[in-house]
Amino acid sequence: MPREHLLKIGVSGIRGVVGEFLTPSLACAFAQAFATYVGAGRVVVGRDTRASGEMLQHAVTCGLLAAGCEVVDVGILPTPTIQIYVGASHARGGIALTASHNPSEYNALKLFNPQGLFFNNYERSELLDLYHQSDFRRAVNAEMRRVSRDYETPPRLHIERVLRHVDVERIRRRRFRVALDAVNGAGSLVTSAFLRDTLGCELYAISVDPTKPFPRVAEPRPDTLGDLAELVRANACEIGIGQDPDGDRLAVADETGRVLDNDDVLALAVDVALRRLPGDVVVNLTTSAVIDDVASAHGRRVFRTPVGEANVVEMMRATKAAIGGEGSNGGIIFPAVHLCRDSYTGMAFLLDRMAETGESVSALAGRLPRFYRKLGTVAYGHGRLGSLMQALEEAFPDAQTDRSDGLKLLLPESWIHVRASNTEPLLRLAAEARTEAQVEELYGRVLRLFESE
Amino acid sequence: MDAGGSLRISHVGLRGVVGAALTAGHVLDFASAFGTFLEPGGAVVIGRDPRASGLMLREGVVAGLEACGRDVVDLGIVPTPVIQHAIRRLDAAGGVSIGASHNNAEWNALKFLGRQGTYLSTAEASELLDIYHLKKFDFVEWRRIGKLRLESGAIDSYLDELASVYDFTSLRSFRVVVDCCNGTSSLILRRVNERFGTEFILINEKIEGVRFAHEPSTTRDAVALQLAPLMKPLSADAGFLFDVDSDRVALAAEDGTPVSEELVLPMLADYLLPRGPGKLVITNLSSTALLEEVAARHGGRVVRVPVGRQAAIDALSGYRPEQIALAGEGTGAVMMPQFRFVYDGIASMLAILAMMREHGQSLGGILAAYPRYHILKGQVPLVTQRVPALLMELQERYRDGRANVVDGLRVDWPGRWFHVRVSQTEPIVRVICEQRGEPPRDLFEALMELVRSYA
Repeated sequence: MPREHLLKIGVSGIRGVVGEFLTPSLACAFAQAFATYVGAGRVVVGRDTRASGEMLQHAVTCGLLAAGCEVVDVGILPTPTIQIYVGASHARGGIALTASHNPSEYNALKLFNPQGLFFNNYERSELLDLYHQSDFRRAVNAEMRRVSRDYETPPRLHIERVLRHVDVERIRRRRFRVALDAVNGAGSLVTSAFLRDTLGCELYAISVDPTKPFPRVAEPRPDTLGDLAELVRANACEIGIGQDPDGDRLAVADETGRVLDNDDVLALAVDVALRRLPGDVVVNLTTSAVIDDVASAHGRRVFRTPVGEANVVEMMRATKAAIGGEGSNGGIIFPAVHLCRDSYTGMAFLLDRMAETGESVSALAGRLPRFYRKLGTVAYGHGRLGSLMQALEEAFPDAQTDRSDGLKLLLPESWIHVRASNTEPLLRLAAEARTEAQVEELYGRVLRLFESE
Repeated sequence: MDAGGSLRISHVGLRGVVGAALTAGHVLDFASAFGTFLEPGGAVVIGRDPRASGLMLREGVVAGLEACGRDVVDLGIVPTPVIQHAIRRLDAAGGVSIGASHNNAEWNALKFLGRQGTYLSTAEASELLDIYHLKKFDFVEWRRIGKLRLESGAIDSYLDELASVYDFTSLRSFRVVVDCCNGTSSLILRRVNERFGTEFILINEKIEGVRFAHEPSTTRDAVALQLAPLMKPLSADAGFLFDVDSDRVALAAEDGTPVSEELVLPMLADYLLPRGPGKLVITNLSSTALLEEVAARHGGRVVRVPVGRQAAIDALSGYRPEQIALAGEGTGAVMMPQFRFVYDGIASMLAILAMMREHGQSLGGILAAYPRYHILKGQVPLVTQRVPALLMELQERYRDGRANVVDGLRVDWPGRWFHVRVSQTEPIVRVICEQRGEPPRDLFEALMELVRSYA
């Protein structure tokens, strides 16, 4: 029976089921620790559309004010939009109230540094120490700052940045028929306006009411986007766009309603980016080898990092990469816009590529090298992790190994990556090969190995 | 006073110097406790005074209440009586007033209000404190989390009610100067001028969060600072001074005399006793004996209870509302039955102006008709464990008088009394003594000497 983690306070911040577990006091105390860490100055606060967001925003604002920060409330906005605004507005940092793709009962505090980037590991552990010490800066009456509101600038700024990298007129001329499922999330209004008004698309949208709960599983995946596929087919759309509640992840359906593998969406974006800018590519260990093929076609290198947006972003900074991301998570990171997962860059790139080539989504995706992937999880007993990993390594003596995040085994025509979840006692398995038979064989072999251990 | 030691958590609520003692954590926990304490159904109305820290407290209060499934109606910067009025008008479950009233700007406080806008009874306040201390709050699941709504028309609704009792337009003939002390009374009185064509002259009317023009207490000394000197130059008929959240009022006479804060309650008793069915005046042991004289003129009776709002509230609950003429303190805080028994400085001001109009007398003229009482007040640092011995020695030494021991020691003689008690808000012993006619200097000095010998 896997344990459920109803509250997690750790290096990735604070996340949990709101109410009994993630309380307003916890959120307030965490905000005080954050404010103490970043110092008295402006802090941007925004949120996704979860019912608990408003309450938590008040608690966070209380904590920030108590520690002497000025608060800029940007309201309901996609996470990348908030991050871009933090970086552009010379704020001391930012907090987004969003549990991203997690279910409705969850929420979380996502923390951004003055550049609008996720806190890196050093920043996170320093902040966590401050939180545990509970020795927060406390402003007296004369040091109390105000709360201001800016709902207009952040989306304008974000869209302006994205548009610098595509040919807007070329897209507008095509008057694309586009389907959208925004899961009633933070993208509901911004994405609708972006596609319809900015990019001149004929928009068919569902779940774009930010006052309503999520109508489907929040994570945009092929198995959760049935309604989007239906919408594409019913209205003969050329492309379908699926978002998660905070608008950082992107899923894409082709003109037949087939939802593309997220690694392929990233591969298409990488292809577009590398056509425009110099630089290499950074992805996590679990991302498909399709990225390697696309990068090498442009003569670029691919760097691999442990799973996690912060890890990818750190490496992208270090290598001055042109583009990066995390395939299975639907995250496209294009630093020329901002070092964050940004579904808007992804949408614009795809539409621009379609306009440029006159090709359909299925045709563009069909030209990508074909890989077969298999993902899954295996529960494990405490204390067994080390011997499982050891057994795996010994079972493939000829494989090239990477132990920077769990264990990844690189075989000539395939690879498998096994890592422990940091929220549950589960192993996450990802395998890939050039043929379906190969991937089934590899995945099955590893699964049997674990069962026998 | 050491700001770090300023935190007070009591039946009256939460109070302290923000940052030094009162923190965001206290605010969230108290708001969560209140959300847990309230009976199901109905929103919670909140408002605040203009202190800069008020916004921080407001955010914490909203979060705690919403997390308990309460919808919140925020009236913004408004006086406490307006919040109390809105609670009843909106049939809300209760309310929270954020503001430290007569304390300096660095203080703030939460005051909790029940379903009819009334203060909590001691039993209710005890339950709230128990929940606060247990820190077991009824946070609801995500679907049922409350929402915030802003409301801007609360002052007008409140004025509608006042206007049903007092004829504002008849006050146009008065030349009235008001020292708002940068607090919420300026919002109300500016609106009164707009709506009813009155010409109240407001000073220190700018809403201010950090630096008040002077200490916001409703005392004769505060009246003497800026208000009293303006009376003659402006040819004013009366002057009024409010504390920051407008629940207390103090007076200046037309000749520029600052009026003792002790006289507000007797004046209002004199006006209200003959008008209503109520014959009881509820006050504490430390307010002027002039009240007994005034009450006797109208066949009324004074009920004296321990000092503090909570004792007055509990005393009120022992009578039918129609038995009571008014209740109040010697600080200029007065409650009247027609306004739901809440301390309301604005209503007190209107009653005094109505009295002047109906009697055809100036403020000074009305006051001149009362016999002179002199009250002397002092304070000595507290050594808690020596208080019982002090009180016993006092009782022994003054055993010729009539003793009352419900709150420290009060001893009465004809035309003279003293009261020695421990303050609920500061670590001091308060000494008050009053005499009809001449100041009771000898008695006061003797008392102070004895009390000091225990410090």
